[in-house]
Amino acid sequence: MAASMLVQRTAALCGTFKGISVSKAVCPVNSHYGFMLQTACYNPRPLRLDLRGPYIPDKDSIKTPEWQKTARYDKKLFGRFGSASHIDPASLWPSHEELEKIKAEEKQWHPPLEVMLKNIEAKEKEETEKRLAKEKLIAANMAKMPKMIEDWRREKRETKRKLKEEKAQKAKLLAEARERFGYSMDPRSPKFLEMVAEIEKEEKKKKKLLKRRVKEEQVAAPPVAQS
Amino acid sequence: MSFAKKNGGKAFDILQNLPRITLANLRPEPGAKKAEKRRGRGQHGGNRSGRGHKGERQRGNRPRLGFEGGQTPFYLVIPKYGFNEGHSRRPQYQPLTLKRLQYLIDLGRVDPTQPIDLTQLVNARGVTIQPLKRDYGVQLVDEGSDIFGAKINIEVQRASEGAIAAIERNGGVITTSFYDPISLGILIKPVPFFMRGQPIPRRMLPGENMVPYYTSAENRGYLADPEEIQQARRALAQKYNYVLPDISKDELYHMLAVRKDVRQIFFGLSPGWVVNMPEKKILKPTDEKLLEYYSS
Repeated sequence: MAASMLVQRTAALCGTFKGISVSKAVCPVNSHYGFMLQTACYNPRPLRLDLRGPYIPDKDSIKTPEWQKTARYDKKLFGRFGSASHIDPASLWPSHEELEKIKAEEKQWHPPLEVMLKNIEAKEKEETEKRLAKEKLIAANMAKMPKMIEDWRREKRETKRKLKEEKAQKAKLLAEARERFGYSMDPRSPKFLEMVAEIEKEEKKKKKLLKRRVKEEQVAAPPVAQS
Repeated sequence: MSFAKKNGGKAFDILQNLPRITLANLRPEPGAKKAEKRRGRGQHGGNRSGRGHKGERQRGNRPRLGFEGGQTPFYLVIPKYGFNEGHSRRPQYQPLTLKRLQYLIDLGRVDPTQPIDLTQLVNARGVTIQPLKRDYGVQLVDEGSDIFGAKINIEVQRASEGAIAAIERNGGVITTSFYDPISLGILIKPVPFFMRGQPIPRRMLPGENMVPYYTSAENRGYLADPEEIQQARRALAQKYNYVLPDISKDELYHMLAVRKDVRQIFFGLSPGWVVNMPEKKILKPTDEKLLEYYSS
């Protein structure tokens, strides 16, 4: 109802205002679309209807661009116009050679699901093996740790003790030398070394005597125990 | 007529007797039009025109953004770190909240009585997917899981556990499937693809890094075992503490059980078919080699 009112008004206006072009809501426009009612205001957006009919380029002519003679364009023509494009539908699918190429490509780049699952499993297995080996190594080493700690501590104590002993020994020798000779002398001098050698000899003799006594006691004690 | 009752009543009478609307009768809503700020005019806009007093500010010679007067600026003090390294090689999934899905169903933009696919979602303008921006599909997010109450058969590319629980709690079915970028482009814009005149291609399988996701039943992957999926359904029901409804006794069981083949892109269309839009015909190949390839 409103549209008809508008049409009446526009008709009246178009009749009255002759020289002035008035763009009204609904104007019967004789455009290249033919007699069509445009339902837009001033400056309507162009409708862009394609009523010319399917344009199928001439394959033999030189003037048609190269890209309109390709198979891809033929497929698009078929997609747009259907059988009116006069294209053999069998050409839409890949030929046997193309199909072989596609299959080879797929085989190379897209392995089947089983192969992929196997690869994944192999990778996972490798990872878990690595991890387990590492953990085993760590566990074994940790088990050895207390013993190693003990050994190390013992070593340290031993070295300390030895050092102490050596020091004491040296101090003793120095004191001995001081007593004998009356003055503190350098432990590297030959006199000191002679004195050290003498002391050693005396110690050896004492030890030998001790050993003999111990042997005699041993010889004396068992026959007494036996009898 | 006296016995014909008019809708609107007095308001309609008033409306009929009012004068016609012209530019002289119209006025914008108060607060709709805000007066523009004109610099350099009048007592308050003129003089220094809002530029301040002398210096770089008034003379328009301020240093670049981020400059801190010579002190090492913040954007250089912070060391580089590869947060965005390789960002263009990471697959992206457009999030779809359950809240939005419920909104679409309530407005009637998505039909819950048919299987819901990415094509349906894009047709309903529920999501926008850009395959060229490394989008690999849509992911279901459990934002509106407490208000969600629709029984649907939905297929997405990723789904969070809460979303799966929400859908199965209402008696629906959810599947996660993979679409390679070409198939995705075809899926979201089927009509332009059909106008190209190419046969529907086969959907490719996911890459090795995504195969574990799509073969696990917890994610309802399309490559997973159906029995495992049943077990996972029961386990999830136990975890989220709801009773798992029995779908086999449902009247829509046939619709809910519809699922796509591993190599299929569209429901009802096989790979290898050519869909012709102007004549509304489907062309199927007859060559054995082609058939063998497309149905493998």
